[in-house]
Amino acid sequence: MMNIVCVPTGLIDLEHPQKGIETISESGFDSILFDMAACCPPDELEKMGKPGGRIDDSRYPAGLAESIAPLLKQCLERKMHISIVRAPRLFRNTKRCDLTDVLSDLAKECIKICARAGCRQLIVSPVFAGVPHGTEWDVNRKYYLGLVNIARENDVTILLESQFRDMNGHLIRGICMDVNETAAWIDRLNRDAGEERFGFCMDIGVCTICGQGVQELTMTLNSRIKAVILRDCDGQHDTSMLPFTCINYGHLQTDWTGLILGLRENCYDGSLIIDFGSNTMTYSHLLRPQMLRMAKMTADYFRWQIAIKAVIKKYDKRVLFGAGNMCRNYMKCYGREFPPLFTCDNDENRWGGQIEGLEIRPPEALRELEQDCVIFICNIYYGEIEKQLRQMKIRNPVAYFSDEYMPPRYFNGIEGKSVTKND
Amino acid sequence: MIEIGVQTKNIVNDDYPEKGFAMLGRAGFTCADFSLNGYLSNTSLYRFELNSFFDQSVTELESFFAPHKKAAGSAGIRINQMHMPYPSYILNAPKSVNDYLMHTVAPKSLKICAFFGCRHIVMHGFKLARLLGREELEWRETEKFIEELAPFAKELGITICMENVYSGVGSHIIEGPCCDARLAAERIDRMNERFGAEIMGFCLDTGHANLIGIDMEGFITTLGKRLKALHIHDNDGIGDLHQIPFTFTRNRENVSTTDWDGFIRGLRKISFDGVLSFETAPVLTAFPGVMKQDVLRFIAQIGSYFAGEIAS
Repeated sequence: MMNIVCVPTGLIDLEHPQKGIETISESGFDSILFDMAACCPPDELEKMGKPGGRIDDSRYPAGLAESIAPLLKQCLERKMHISIVRAPRLFRNTKRCDLTDVLSDLAKECIKICARAGCRQLIVSPVFAGVPHGTEWDVNRKYYLGLVNIARENDVTILLESQFRDMNGHLIRGICMDVNETAAWIDRLNRDAGEERFGFCMDIGVCTICGQGVQELTMTLNSRIKAVILRDCDGQHDTSMLPFTCINYGHLQTDWTGLILGLRENCYDGSLIIDFGSNTMTYSHLLRPQMLRMAKMTADYFRWQIAIKAVIKKYDKRVLFGAGNMCRNYMKCYGREFPPLFTCDNDENRWGGQIEGLEIRPPEALRELEQDCVIFICNIYYGEIEKQLRQMKIRNPVAYFSDEYMPPRYFNGIEGKSVTKND
Repeated sequence: MIEIGVQTKNIVNDDYPEKGFAMLGRAGFTCADFSLNGYLSNTSLYRFELNSFFDQSVTELESFFAPHKKAAGSAGIRINQMHMPYPSYILNAPKSVNDYLMHTVAPKSLKICAFFGCRHIVMHGFKLARLLGREELEWRETEKFIEELAPFAKELGITICMENVYSGVGSHIIEGPCCDARLAAERIDRMNERFGAEIMGFCLDTGHANLIGIDMEGFITTLGKRLKALHIHDNDGIGDLHQIPFTFTRNRENVSTTDWDGFIRGLRKISFDGVLSFETAPVLTAFPGVMKQDVLRFIAQIGSYFAGEIAS
């Protein structure tokens, strides 16, 4: 079951976190990602060891734990789980090439904080400052493997993430942006660690800005993806907007279809991190609770869409309810791999007929189902139909199918030969 | 020795080709990318509209292009690369249209290429990844097309250069076919080995690379000697503008937002000795017509700068 995680940018005052945690909790979230950059921001790291730093260098790394102590206490009291932590990182265009050891120490401290918070995943950006072209793997291999022992002791998985390169204001592909190379890195790190200690945190915002093929990336990295950051942006600026809100001339900028189809095909069950920090930073605090509820609903929607194939797969026997286009699309996309026993419909004129080779029966036929057979509702009146089924005293599991994001199935190749995803 | 070239679109016309080629020579170019795609435009093809240009026999086509060939020669311009009409496959188009592209336009393009004594023809891969879900399935379809052409290409001594192109989500540009250098290199090697000739190579389009933030140095070094042709142009990272390199900046420092240093380093690393070919036709419509010669000279000078940096 995918874990939904809220990024609380602009919502939590670190010294007085009670109100922020309350607001997040009341919106239905029970899990947050905590970005340690809030305690150790890039601009402070940039000044480390130099005069003019606002915070005493001695605070790092040991001071991190102290900085978030009030937050940990509140989270415990409010049953808010910190499920992912993000380690501090440098500015993308930093000139500080001397801080790799500092970053390593900070990451180690974050691992200890994870353990205290009961958190099992830590996002650690690759080292990039001053790393010559062609030596990225060697430098980062040493860096990441340096975290293995402490990560193992604390049962924390290290998640790599993609790193932009700032080309004078234009964000271009940096480290961990080549999907095959990233997969190879993670596999080699896990092999060297002797266990699955590394994974990947996929950030859809990064994919959008660098024009990556999202479905291809998702399916290539497959089970290496342990967390997915859902955020929208205009394709140029590194902003975190609520999904589906960045529109240009009526068109979405983010490839949500590719993301959903890719993760669905993988039967993804990791974390779904919803990041809408750019919205919360600018919204009035009076409006934030409504925005948070919307964010939770959006994350739930993604979870439902992504999980559709996994849910179909979970049951050995299935029937459909509805004999319209949604049923037809089920049959076109999943009918061969996961054939239903039959479908049913409230329209008695359809009874005895067929759709895509599937027999249409009256709802009464559902009474004869074996208990472990799932009923997929293929009609947007989900609530009403589920209510009807329960009123009929049908106790079978019920799931909602959707054809909003469907894989294209049939393509007559250039020689007229049918090509499908499974060929 | 590295040479400098530019596409012929907006410079060379059919009525007086000698005028356009002479202009290129005066500007300092020694090579040209012949814009064969102009004879069957992509905008028409996307409307499933064909014209009769490629209905002509090869002899007729050669006769049509004889003045162009002569004019290029007279101006000291070598046609080093040519752009095949694109797209090569149109999704949802009638089968007759796609068959025509495959069985008529593509082989005749190769024949015209050979007629000009040109060794490289640039082709776009099929854009089917979103439909098929995987890039590999998309490539399979492109490969079938290339397989059809490979015997002709081998016979004519032509290398089909696959270009990195883009696709779109809404109004946002994302990577399209041939944007993975490692995969491209593997496929080129496999096809060339299979056909026992250098029938496949690569054309790096710097503007398309910039739109999706490709690491130019890494891309070029991965391709190595498989890189046979270039489409050099610049953009703002948002739209495919085909403008002069070093044009776009985003911050107060006013430094180029395209990784031209990476481009130079990559070409230097692979000891590139081909043609620095510019695909900057829109520049010529943006500037006043009376400045065309000056603009071309400026583009050629940028080419000379690149050549000097690569060779240093």
